[in-house]
Amino acid sequence: MAETCSRSFDESLLSGYLDDALTQGDAQRVRIHLEDCSSCHTLVVDMKRIRKATMTTPFTSPADEQWDERPQGTGSRSAFTLGWLVLIIWGVGVIGFALGHAWAGPQTWIERLILFGGGSGIALVFLSVLIDRLKNRKTDRYREVEK
Amino acid sequence: MTANEAAAAAAPVDDHELVRRAQHGETEACEELARRHRRSVFVLALQLTGSQDDALDISQDALLRFFSKLNRFDSTRPVRPWLFTIVRNRARDIWRRRKTRRAKPLISDGEEGFSYDIVDPTADPHQDLESTELRHRLWRALGVLSESKREILVLRDYHDLSYVEMADVLGIPTGTVMSRLHGARKALRDAYLEQQGGQGG
Ligand SMILES: [Zn+2]
Repeated sequence: MAETCSRSFDESLLSGYLDDALTQGDAQRVRIHLEDCSSCHTLVVDMKRIRKATMTTPFTSPADEQWDERPQGTGSRSAFTLGWLVLIIWGVGVIGFALGHAWAGPQTWIERLILFGGGSGIALVFLSVLIDRLKNRKTDRYREVEK
Repeated sequence: MTANEAAAAAAPVDDHELVRRAQHGETEACEELARRHRRSVFVLALQLTGSQDDALDISQDALLRFFSKLNRFDSTRPVRPWLFTIVRNRARDIWRRRKTRRAKPLISDGEEGFSYDIVDPTADPHQDLESTELRHRLWRALGVLSESKREILVLRDYHDLSYVEMADVLGIPTGTVMSRLHGARKALRDAYLEQQGGQGG
């Protein structure tokens, strides 16, 4: 284990020294201290070596395609959501309108049953998608405020 | 196009300008900002969590949050520390969640996740074996540090943030950065030496 500086010297100045973040006076103090404190000297040499290694460590990161899969701006996201909503409302409206018309026209009860069954089925599907989207909107973690 | 205009077009646009353009709805500026920063954002998330899945999740989340708040972002501020703040806060959430789930430390030496994400050293003939070994050992040593030590160390010694930027990201006074950083550096060195001692070399 590395030995520690025994004197009353603020060791954290060594990091400031390494990072060029000290005032001239402090930097001078560190230089003088390093001249006759071998443990601090070793520490600075080690820290320098470590920093050089960390700063040049290469890391893998995801390929471009992986990033591009996700939406990047809010503009496109809200347009997408709005588009869905409009489409769903339109779909429900059209079906409702058609159903109303067909219901009013002269038909047998079997024809009415087929119309109503099919129409309400499609309407239910649309409705479930709508509910799903609204739920997603609510729980969408991207909408949280940061911090 | 005059020579001056051509030169201006060829020169790389700085972040502030890109932010301004993005705020005016230029999609290309948004994309360029994302391209520029997503790598370091991902790497930071990886360094903080030690997990590639979490890192991808966090970094995509951070970019989305950044863009969703872009209109309120002051374009004279640097972008990277801002993104790093989001990443750091999300990483903290993950640590907290992991802690409540299991009592064992987040990343222990030799545990998968903290060992495999450095680029294969043999791929680059210019890197000598010794410094490659050093990098790997430091990476493993980093995994045993406490979260608060790891984050300040990573910000400075892997991402080269300034003291002011570190204070900003970590939400601490600038005056305390140096001593905290120094404590983290010493801890990393100790962890590294301990590991080296354990391996008999
Ligand atoms: Zn000393």
